Amino acid sequence: MSTTKIDDVEYVVRSLAQTTVEKEKEFGDLDAVVGDGDLGYSLARGFEKVLADWDSLKRDDAATFLQQIALAISSRIGGTSGPLWGTAFLRASAAAKTTDTIDGAAVVAMLRGATDGIKKRGNSDLGDKTLLDALIPATDELERQLAAGASPEECRAAFAAKIRECADATSTMEAKRGRASYSGTRSIGSPDAGAVAVAVIVERIVADWP
Amino acid sequence: MKKFVNDPQQFVPEMLEGLALANPDTLKYVPEYNLIMRADGPDESKVSIVQGSGSGHEPAHVMIVGKGMLDAACPGDVFAAPPFDYVYETTKLMASPKGVLLLVNNYTGDKMVFEMAEEMSSADGIEVKTLFINDDVSVEDSTYTIGRRGVAGNFFVIKAVAAASERGADLNEVIRIGEKVNSVTRTMGVALTACTPPAKGSPLFELGDDEIEIGVGIHGEPGRRRGKMMPANEIVEEMLGPIVKDLPFKEGDRVALMINGLGGTPISELYLLYGQAHKRLAEQGISVGRSYVGEYCTSLDMAGASITLVRLDDEIEGLLMDPAEIPIRVF
Repeated sequence: MSTTKIDDVEYVVRSLAQTTVEKEKEFGDLDAVVGDGDLGYSLARGFEKVLADWDSLKRDDAATFLQQIALAISSRIGGTSGPLWGTAFLRASAAAKTTDTIDGAAVVAMLRGATDGIKKRGNSDLGDKTLLDALIPATDELERQLAAGASPEECRAAFAAKIRECADATSTMEAKRGRASYSGTRSIGSPDAGAVAVAVIVERIVADWP
Repeated sequence: MKKFVNDPQQFVPEMLEGLALANPDTLKYVPEYNLIMRADGPDESKVSIVQGSGSGHEPAHVMIVGKGMLDAACPGDVFAAPPFDYVYETTKLMASPKGVLLLVNNYTGDKMVFEMAEEMSSADGIEVKTLFINDDVSVEDSTYTIGRRGVAGNFFVIKAVAAASERGADLNEVIRIGEKVNSVTRTMGVALTACTPPAKGSPLFELGDDEIEIGVGIHGEPGRRRGKMMPANEIVEEMLGPIVKDLPFKEGDRVALMINGLGGTPISELYLLYGQAHKRLAEQGISVGRSYVGEYCTSLDMAGASITLVRLDDEIEGLLMDPAEIPIRVF
């Protein structure tokens, strides 16, 4: 993967924000199967604020930009989505601070930072039927592709394919975290709403890559 | 359900505005962050003590801001964790060279918000730590928690850490005291009726006229069992049993005993409960060193009460006895 400029980081965040706002109802319906149905609403409110503040966000470097995103989505959102997604961006920002160029290795470090942050904040891990079950294996796949010398396009396609595969595979799991876990075994048979939402977001980012 | 309310969305801000207008010399209200703070704060010679949670539990926590108690309270909407940026901005506003202690009742939403605020303000160079309170013995995991819930026992943790900070203790010492008090505090509640959030206008859950919820949470979450109404002494017995057994409190222990009203129970009934609990403890060789009867941590207009016991030693008792000044006053 070649050097990624702050433009690419901006593109990814903007695409993510637009998807969550456009898919508010769809994500909410996913969450209503066994969760409390607020996923779509929470994410949309948070990323609406990102889009509203877009022009005033500081863009000195990727780390500063991502920290601003963390603040924007964490403010005024109730529920657990705000702190979880906010922490993900905060840790991605911290990872971006340690590098001058946003290359493939930096993207992996940012994703690792994000998933470690979600683990810590949500007191959750692989196997709990959360978005981590899609995001972590997809990050592993990205790392493998980079090591094998894949092109940026190949890396993005592999990442998106893996995240969709793993999101769909959460159907067979029992929820251990979040409101969905109160449904116990009733959560088996439908995929995790957060994991599917992340897959939809990533597919869109990859499909529209400038 | 009739309530004194204008726009339900403005319920919390209008309550805070009233609180500040009634206490112009001692309290400051910062509407941008729902924040109630001591008018002369932050005091840079001591650790700042900050508590946040959903509203609807008054007097906790906005009405216990004052000398010897909280330096600031940062409430969310009714029964909702405060938004992250409110907590973050409050932490920055209350920054002191001696540090900031954030006190949080153990509910998942609050826990995430406060941990994130701690992370962000630490990155800004503020010395900040978070302490979780989990005194409720009713259930282990619950509707809104991993682990035990934090309820009326938070009063004792706040009183002790605030007294220690007024005495000049550093952040580590204040945390040690907070953890110690939390570790010897146990609570259980009972609901005789449900409660009605202003924005909802109807009861939050169904509880039959002849039913009670033993072990209820302070948002009306389910407890240990739902049963038929019983005489007061039987209710006290069913609540005290699990509390005493949990720590366990033993013969020869000296305790603080709190009967806390949940918002809709007359104080006459609370004193009746107090008498029953005091005598039952005496029968078990447990003596009451400090008594607390009234409303400390409520659930809006819920009829019901909780019982809290704290095992006293000289250190804890001394901190509980230190003077404090808060807006709720009799004279």
